[in-house]
Amino acid sequence: MPAETHMEGVPIGRDEVLDIVRERLADILEIDPAGIAEGASFADDLGADSLALIELVEALEEELSERSTGFRIDDDDLEDLRTVRDAVDYVVSRFG
Amino acid sequence: MLPVAVDAMGGDNAPHEIIAGAQKAIDDHGIPVLLVGKPEVLEGITEIPILPASQVIEMDAEPGSSVRQMKDSSLVRAAEAVRDGAASAMVSAGNTGATMASALLRMGRIKNIARPAIATLLPSPGGTPTVLLDSGANSECSSEWLLQFGQMGAVFAQHRLGVKKPRVALLSIGEEPGKGTPLIKESFESFSTADFNGGSFIGNIEGRDLLTDAADVAVADGFTGNIALKTIEGTMKTFFSTMLEKMTARPEASSALEILGPEFDELFKLFHPDTYGGAMLLGVKGVCIISHGSSGALAIENAIKVAAEMAEVDIVGSLKSSFNQSN
Repeated sequence: MPAETHMEGVPIGRDEVLDIVRERLADILEIDPAGIAEGASFADDLGADSLALIELVEALEEELSERSTGFRIDDDDLEDLRTVRDAVDYVVSRFG
Repeated sequence: MLPVAVDAMGGDNAPHEIIAGAQKAIDDHGIPVLLVGKPEVLEGITEIPILPASQVIEMDAEPGSSVRQMKDSSLVRAAEAVRDGAASAMVSAGNTGATMASALLRMGRIKNIARPAIATLLPSPGGTPTVLLDSGANSECSSEWLLQFGQMGAVFAQHRLGVKKPRVALLSIGEEPGKGTPLIKESFESFSTADFNGGSFIGNIEGRDLLTDAADVAVADGFTGNIALKTIEGTMKTFFSTMLEKMTARPEASSALEILGPEFDELFKLFHPDTYGGAMLLGVKGVCIISHGSSGALAIENAIKVAAEMAEVDIVGSLKSSFNQSN
């Protein structure tokens, strides 16, 4: 669960969040987004190191801030985001 | 000409040696500089423009989270200055990982380049320096990344050293194609058919070849590259200090040293890291020079010179073209 209570923003569907996460990850890792499974582990399956994860977080914050002012992923929560699904669930929960 | 953004707070000798180096770059080479750092520390400097930054990322801080949490740090602000077109390049003698993270997260990665790499120049007496990369950014690499390091290194050698047809080699434990780790063997195959922007793959070289004219670009994963680099630096430092000790142990030896002064001076400069200013982070959308943490004024002056030169020749543009064409 996120460290802070969720915040209200323009609602966003889970599928849309998954697409956004895949697209951003694909950009960062220079891989095909279609090859990114929802259950994929950032480190073990996708070879994403901590810096790549921070790139992802910053990219998501930038993109999603347009829908919800000040959208931010807490640094305390970063270590819990181990898979694509974790990231998607986190964002969806923050959007209420 | 846009200024070079210099992190005034980074390194063991900040801010005094950084400021001194910046002033030399301005006075002796006419390079405009933008000093980035804490206003209260840089108070009293009137000749060099200041970009205020209230925070400093310490040398032992975790790179990624530091950049995220310290958005007003001198490193982050310097990288943003390049991103936003307020500076042509950035230089820092601060936390290497955080410098890389700042450049990566703020300037962004060049499309089609999977991982930026640190390119360091190694002296090669009688010839042009050898470009060693990756010399510490990525500990574990794929063969695809190594290939990109080689391709970036070739472009860098062309622009930084004027080598028209760079000879690219893999750093291994033997010259034979079958020698090395599985990564090196796999990379050997892909290197053999790859395009190096007019350069060519010449096979494997060994550690002993790094300070010779055996290759123009030596490619390694960051772990191996960093060990090679630090071994060379440590060996040179120990050798020169021991030699100096021996050469001043007897009056006759001291006299000989006086006579050979110019030659030793030349050798010392050739092998001293300060001469080269710093390493360049290749693969991000801006010029980022990473200087040694112990950099003094001379190293900073030279780092600023290199930064300005790389911005002037638009190495980033050349890397972008090379990777958009070859991928």
